[in-house]
Amino acid sequence: MLLEVRDLHVEFRTRDGIARAVNGVSYGVDAGETLAVLGESGSGKSVTAQAIMGILDMPPGRIASGEIVFRGTDLLKLKEEDRRKVRGAEMAMIFQDALSSLNPVISVGDQLGEMFVVHRGMSRKDARARAVELMDRVRIPAARERVRDYPHQFSGGMRQRIMIAMAMALEPALIIADEPTTALDVTVQAQVMDLLAELQREYHMGLILITHDLGVVADVADRIAVMYAGRIVESAPVHDIYKAPAHPYTRGLLDSIPRLDQKGQELYAIKGLPPNLMNIPPGCAFNPRCPAAQDVCRTDVPPLYEVTGAVAATGIAAAGIAGAAERRADRTSACHFWRECLHG
Amino acid sequence: MPEPTPPEYQLPGAARTPQNGAVADTGMGGAMDLATAEGETLERPPDAGPPERDAEGDAEGAAGERARSLWSDAWRELRRNPVFIVAALVILFLVFISLWPGSITWMSPLKCELSKAQEGSQPGHPFGFDGQGCDVYTRVVYGARTSVTVGFLATLGVALLGSVLGGLAGFFGGAGDSVLSRITDIFFAIPVVLGGLVLLSVVTSNTVWPVIGFMVLLGWPQISRIARGSVITAKQHDYVQAARALGASHSRVLLRHITPNAVAPVIVVATIALGTYISLEATLSYLGVGLKPPTVSWGIDISAASPYIRNAPHALLWPSGALAVTVLAFIMLGDAVRDALDPKLR
Amino acid sequence: MGRYVVRRLLQMIPVFIGATLLIFLMVNVMGDPVAGLCGDRQCDPATAAQLRKEFGLDKPVWQQYLTYLGNIFTGDFGTAFNGQPVTELMASAFPVTVRLTIVAILFEIVIGIVLGVVTGLRRGRPVDTGVLLLTLVVISVPTFVTGLLLQLLLGVEWGWIKPSVSTEATFGELIVPGLVLASVSLAYVTRLTRTSIAENKRSDYVRTAVAKGLPRRRVVTRHLLRNSLIPVVTFIGTDIGALMGGAIVTERIFNIHGVGYQLYQGILRQNTQTVVGFVTVLVLVFLVANLLVDLLYAVLDPRIRYA
Repeated sequence: MLLEVRDLHVEFRTRDGIARAVNGVSYGVDAGETLAVLGESGSGKSVTAQAIMGILDMPPGRIASGEIVFRGTDLLKLKEEDRRKVRGAEMAMIFQDALSSLNPVISVGDQLGEMFVVHRGMSRKDARARAVELMDRVRIPAARERVRDYPHQFSGGMRQRIMIAMAMALEPALIIADEPTTALDVTVQAQVMDLLAELQREYHMGLILITHDLGVVADVADRIAVMYAGRIVESAPVHDIYKAPAHPYTRGLLDSIPRLDQKGQELYAIKGLPPNLMNIPPGCAFNPRCPAAQDVCRTDVPPLYEVTGAVAATGIAAAGIAGAAERRADRTSACHFWRECLHG
Repeated sequence: MPEPTPPEYQLPGAARTPQNGAVADTGMGGAMDLATAEGETLERPPDAGPPERDAEGDAEGAAGERARSLWSDAWRELRRNPVFIVAALVILFLVFISLWPGSITWMSPLKCELSKAQEGSQPGHPFGFDGQGCDVYTRVVYGARTSVTVGFLATLGVALLGSVLGGLAGFFGGAGDSVLSRITDIFFAIPVVLGGLVLLSVVTSNTVWPVIGFMVLLGWPQISRIARGSVITAKQHDYVQAARALGASHSRVLLRHITPNAVAPVIVVATIALGTYISLEATLSYLGVGLKPPTVSWGIDISAASPYIRNAPHALLWPSGALAVTVLAFIMLGDAVRDALDPKLR
Repeated sequence: MGRYVVRRLLQMIPVFIGATLLIFLMVNVMGDPVAGLCGDRQCDPATAAQLRKEFGLDKPVWQQYLTYLGNIFTGDFGTAFNGQPVTELMASAFPVTVRLTIVAILFEIVIGIVLGVVTGLRRGRPVDTGVLLLTLVVISVPTFVTGLLLQLLLGVEWGWIKPSVSTEATFGELIVPGLVLASVSLAYVTRLTRTSIAENKRSDYVRTAVAKGLPRRRVVTRHLLRNSLIPVVTFIGTDIGALMGGAIVTERIFNIHGVGYQLYQGILRQNTQTVVGFVTVLVLVFLVANLLVDLLYAVLDPRIRYA
């Protein structure tokens, strides 16, 4: 496993109390694999990513417990200087809003070249040449002329390509993309996503794709982890989840996608609001919004159940799954009634 | 277009952005710049306000509600802020002794005994005597009245004149607005202390009115810019647009919808400005063109004490301290009010 | 860019005329300019009328103003109370005040920015709270009090400096007066830098810089500082004009024979020519400084483009 997050807990100290943003998240990514992390804003998906990168604001943030094992080392045990050398070089991150994420007063060439100057000790001139190559690689037209331009002189899609180029610069083993296409026009979204997927295949990188866009996920992800209130509520290979979700929250998410074949019907929306992270409901955090909530949901925190019956239910060959189950639980759900959900 | 292309987003913390006018509104001295900057942060574009509804009554309700909740939230915030409480208590105390100085003193500030000149602290005279043998304690207490009077009246005049002119210019725009902008430019180009020195050097009156008049004359452009800016911002709110679309009259829109929401920056700047006016009065009195004896003023006393600074530093230190505490109280009050009114900081 | 400069220069003309006219009117209200010309004695009416005619003072004020403005453009600023041309006074006074201003600006840059960066990076820590309080105190204490106190402590009590500055007014002598002149702006620069740094520190591009694995030093100096200092640099630029105009108090305290001193003398002797001349130059300095700052802004921030 390239990266494994084990039972991560992150909390933020605020004026009104402690907000538990991440409550025991575990997930893993292999080289060449794409894991989509799905969830509403405030579900802890970005905070987990920032904890992996080591760019959490601490304070007010604090990693209460857990491990982040990357290539066999627990990153949380590294000294800051060693951690820094991992950032950018071995794992990189792409942010949502490229305009604000790029430095407005430094040319894109210098911002790209900086990776080579800092991590590889290159001269500025060589670094600039590499920057041009990178811009070519992400298909920015007239890269040689535009290398001296500033971020605001590029279109939104081009800026996000530059962010991708920056992340790819040192060919890291892992890329975390935090809503990389959310801020873009729909027409540009697909191009940027395709580019990212293509580069990932080419360099055989692990990719953690944080998003709330289920459409994007279906195209590129291998596995999906659905987060709610700082926990992973369901984790499964992508086609399994689309066929039959094993958690009411996932079901709600899928049902709220507008579909052509249901034109004219009222669009489904999950009732209520995400919980206040300072005061997460007892039991299953989703219970106040869950249409199928029982008494046990209000008292007992559901453990991660291994979803096994899904094999038969979704009609996938049992042999393949049996092999997978030996490595790790291929499919999990944090719902007391996952079976009912799966078949319902 | 001969305009600077607007930056795609505002630089955070920018004291000023390049502008059309010939002059930036700095130059009033650091404290005034502080006031301006604090006020400007409150002028922000409308956030996702309440959804636009289709009756004027609703639009009006939204405007009133926004303003009301802003102030009641701010008040709740302020009551918990120790800085605010301390500053407010200091100011209340100053106002109290300005109105009834006799309640904590028992002498006349003008009763002096030359034989006791420059003597230090002694029983009944905790702050000692100044160069003329006057009781420093009594004079410091009575000096508060002058400072508070000048500060309050000057601020009142500046705030009224500035916000009316600036508000109208911002609301109606057009030629009047351009003319007003150029006029404020002119006032900003004149260094304040210098203007005071020139204008007040002719005045022979020894009342506080010339000084107040001068401060209003040179101070209003400051508030006018703030008021103009915040009115323009408030004008863009959805509920104001809605009210206008429904045919509400100019005066109604301006009074019921814009004023309640545009007044916050003006109040913050005015509070901080009040402190700087008190300081300016003292500076002008120190230069010999502000207030004149027999008026009792901290500035006059500090100026009078400076030649004896070596032998009787107490005569300089006590009024200086009182002056500094007063100015500090107003600046901190303005600071606290700004923090409370700034939703971003919550 | 060229068109922008031209437009700005054109905009400066009405402001310049308005400001000088305002001062001219104020000074005319100020009193009888002839009274000062006969020295300390009272002028006899005949001489006074003669002088009045000679200086064109019998004409209406607006005509006097136009004549004055015309003279300025030929470099004639008139005569001071002691018979010297005003330009000569300027030649002796401005270098002193410029030196004083340079010292003050250096203090603002070095101390103000360093304190601002330190506190901005450590927002909420004791050092931040301490410096913040200190800046408020400095802003609250009027310059003349700060000046008198420093003069008392450093000059009289401890004898580190001479309490008053000689006529040469070398840089060394101007250190303490420069600090006094800078004090309030210094506190403001500190606060401005602090706010700017603290805000930019939370910005997305700083997060990107950290995520790129840049060393902390590089994140601060290359990414954070460059953006945060844009408003600070522009403030310091505009402050030049304000400092030169505000030097009058500092110059009085330390007996520095600069612009403020000459102006003060001019006002005492009711000499119109001196006062209006000096103020005119100060207004010009202020306007030009403003223009340069806006141009500098475009250099510092590539997002700003003037057409």
